[in-house]
Amino acid sequence: MNLLEVKNLNTSFHIGVGTVHAVRGISFHVAQGESVGIVGESGSGKSVTMLSVTGLLPDYAEVSADTIRFDGRELTKLSRKEVRALHGSEIGMIFQDPMTSLNPLFTVENQLTEPLKLHRRMDKRAARARALELLRQVDIPNPEARLKQYPHELSGGLRQRVMIAMAIACEPKMIIADEPTTALDVTIQAQILELLQTLKRESNASIIMITHDMGVIASMCSRILVMYGGAVCEQGDVREIFYGAKHPYTWGLLNSIPKVHQKRGEKLVPIVGTPPDMLQPPAGCPFSPRCRYCMPVCRAYMPPVTALSDTHSVACHLMHPKAPKIGRED
Amino acid sequence: MLKYIIKRLLAGVLTMVVLITVAFFMMHAMPGGPFSPSEEKNVPKQVLERIAASYGLDQPVWKQYLNYWKNLLRGDLGISYKTIGTVNEKIAGHFPYSARVGGLAVIFSLLVGIPMGLIAALHRGKAADMATLALATIGISVPVFVLSLLLGYLFSYKLKWLPTYGLDSWACYILPVVCLSFNPIAYIARQTRSSMLEALEQDYIRTARAKGVSELMVVAKHALKNALTPVITYLGPLVAGLLTGSFIVESRFAIPGLGYYFVRSISDRDYTMIMGIVIFFGLFVVICNLVSDILLAIVDPRVKLENE
Amino acid sequence: MSVNVPDRDAYAALPPEMFVIGTDDSHAEDIPRPSTTYWHDVWQRFRRDKLAIVGLAVIVIMTALCIVMPMVSPHTYDGADYLNMNAGPSWQHPCGTDQLGRDQFIRIMYGARISLTIGFVAAAINFAIGVLYGGLAGYLGGRVDMVLMRIVDILSSLPSLLYIVLIMLIFGSNMGSVILALCFTSWIGTARVVRSEVMVLKHSEYVLASRLAGAGTWHLLIQHLIPNAMGPIIVSTAFLIPNAIFSEAFLSFLGIGIQAPKASWGSLANAAIPVMQMFPHLMFFPVIAICVTMFSFNFIGDGLRDALDPRLKK
Repeated sequence: MNLLEVKNLNTSFHIGVGTVHAVRGISFHVAQGESVGIVGESGSGKSVTMLSVTGLLPDYAEVSADTIRFDGRELTKLSRKEVRALHGSEIGMIFQDPMTSLNPLFTVENQLTEPLKLHRRMDKRAARARALELLRQVDIPNPEARLKQYPHELSGGLRQRVMIAMAIACEPKMIIADEPTTALDVTIQAQILELLQTLKRESNASIIMITHDMGVIASMCSRILVMYGGAVCEQGDVREIFYGAKHPYTWGLLNSIPKVHQKRGEKLVPIVGTPPDMLQPPAGCPFSPRCRYCMPVCRAYMPPVTALSDTHSVACHLMHPKAPKIGRED
Repeated sequence: MLKYIIKRLLAGVLTMVVLITVAFFMMHAMPGGPFSPSEEKNVPKQVLERIAASYGLDQPVWKQYLNYWKNLLRGDLGISYKTIGTVNEKIAGHFPYSARVGGLAVIFSLLVGIPMGLIAALHRGKAADMATLALATIGISVPVFVLSLLLGYLFSYKLKWLPTYGLDSWACYILPVVCLSFNPIAYIARQTRSSMLEALEQDYIRTARAKGVSELMVVAKHALKNALTPVITYLGPLVAGLLTGSFIVESRFAIPGLGYYFVRSISDRDYTMIMGIVIFFGLFVVICNLVSDILLAIVDPRVKLENE
Repeated sequence: MSVNVPDRDAYAALPPEMFVIGTDDSHAEDIPRPSTTYWHDVWQRFRRDKLAIVGLAVIVIMTALCIVMPMVSPHTYDGADYLNMNAGPSWQHPCGTDQLGRDQFIRIMYGARISLTIGFVAAAINFAIGVLYGGLAGYLGGRVDMVLMRIVDILSSLPSLLYIVLIMLIFGSNMGSVILALCFTSWIGTARVVRSEVMVLKHSEYVLASRLAGAGTWHLLIQHLIPNAMGPIIVSTAFLIPNAIFSEAFLSFLGIGIQAPKASWGSLANAAIPVMQMFPHLMFFPVIAICVTMFSFNFIGDGLRDALDPRLKK
């Protein structure tokens, strides 16, 4: 049973100089209790995809989709108010920068109890008791004192724990974590990841993890979507992506992870070039200008999706029978 | 909090000491004292010297300075040189007029300026926004004396709807209050608009939406409080400026307030009056700034930290 | 946005030469965007702001007129035409004459000379003081910065009109003391802007590099810090000009600025008050001159702000 099903999602932003096509025809699904990673460089459209699905983009964004089905409900057909009722109750969200994602002028208690009062109709005392319980759950020491504090009085790691507590406050069916560890120190990153793993084990919620860090994906997710230039270029389960990737961009991502057995003097391989300008996306494969296996067809057409197994699919012209057979090189 | 207030208070006291010292020595640097022969041509020189001595003006400047402080600390601003009575009496007599007109102007500016800025921000790029921006530009570009001249000409001389002078009826308040609040309204509307737009773009607004907070509450709770902090900072100088009277508006509309009186003391070269009013203005500004600083610290808990 | 995917049959039928690795035009790093300089960009953005261009044109025309007109006009600012006292606008006197029969147009032109001179000179002096003061405070930092900024805090916590009035009383009513009075506190805004810009830039890498290369304080300030902080400085200076013009008009209106028989917009408006019921033109023309000038400078300032820092555009 799929908790979330998205078909042919398109999102564009109308800005002064033109239209940015941030997401171009994406389809994916998330099963009940599953954790999916969306990986890609900054500007690949991964955050915009999730903000489009949840309807949190500003008004100047144009979102269209054949279907966005969440827990049996068609989100594209719901009113704004009905979608809002899902936010914070059935869909919890964690954002990248805990420094700016909490309102500086309200106490932790005020912000943490907000979804409880809103969706669970709790009174002040009940909400406070639940808030304390949540803070304990995310391993914040001395929760009574923390409730009275303002965000600027907390460290980055503590703030992110508060964000997580807020996201899980109403026991959502789906948690979207948008680069939850990127803005944190490395040691704190590890602690937050550990916390997320614990939460995942303890609840039956689906988790969508947006990141550019393949390491984070490997430790958290069972399935991976690789995004580039506003489109999904490859998806599959962790094993298929890590050991059987077919798309040159995925190879590039994997090669840029440091390995434990890295030989001395062996260099990490960066992906040459910069992501495409989504104001004028290339006509063909968005990765073609940076791809070392680029063929004439890549410039002309967007590659069709080739299914390799039930879970594994790739959008690359190298899958064409007439194309040369290229394997991943380390 | 206490530490923060004490710090602000000390800064205020220091400001007052500097102001009083600078003002005192400036007064004494002025060419031609109040009783110099060039000013009062018909009075014999000896008589002028006697009068000067009776005010203590024959003593060395530093002694006069110490004397001034001694009196000041007892709350005594001295005796008016050119009119009958003490400076304290004059200020006590004229301040209430300024405070009444100014107080109304403060309320009017806030009641008009803040909603205008909010409506503009929430309808960015639409007609209401354009109108607010246009009005704000007019409010910043048209000097208050021009406005008081034009409005006075239109409503008093041409249309004969409103009286031009005095404070005898409620109608007398309309023109001065509108003139006084025109510029603040423009400033507040512009400031509220831009800080509201900035607040709405912040990450924490997205967080609030992600919690399912309604659009009304996102604006009214999460964005508004952040958007109003710059307005609170502006409140101190605004209240001080308006309550102590505007030189222009009070002289134009013949309101017997402090501003009007200040202009008269300047043309009279009534030095003790000028000093007294400057000190009173200064003290009022310092107090208003202190209050708005404390208000800001209550609204925005980060302020205290930065100042410690 | 339709995605350019070929249909199944056409895709299968694509010729083999389409599937050869390596294309002749593979330039991953090429980003086709015309490169322009910063100031060129600024000018392009400024040019698109119609109000700012109108404002600039008005100021240029007014500057030219107030320089040329008094030279070619048959009237002078204090020359009386006793046959035409309090006359309305006519071909001979386009803005009418005042109670003494003086040509109002020429007097307004003289007023423009005074207003524009005060505006530009005061802005230039304030710019210089502000850049120097703020630059030093920001650059030296530490205790020097603290002392300098406390001084500024004290100066700015009181309404500047108090100082201005006191200075006018001491130094008498003339253009020099108006400028002096305006330079007493107006530079504070610029100084604060410069200080914070310099504080940020001082820690940037290119300044560190220059310092490592042995550059001295003055070299750093003049070569790197000030030019890079120029945008916000220009904006704050642009708004100083209308403020100075406003203050002069205000002082003259109160009767402690420019004195008769010289004419300033403020004193012209003031002189018109007693007779404004009978001869409203004496009030309207100076008032229009002030408003047009204030609008123009504010439009230019807004345009500059949007052009120099597009992020600030709201």
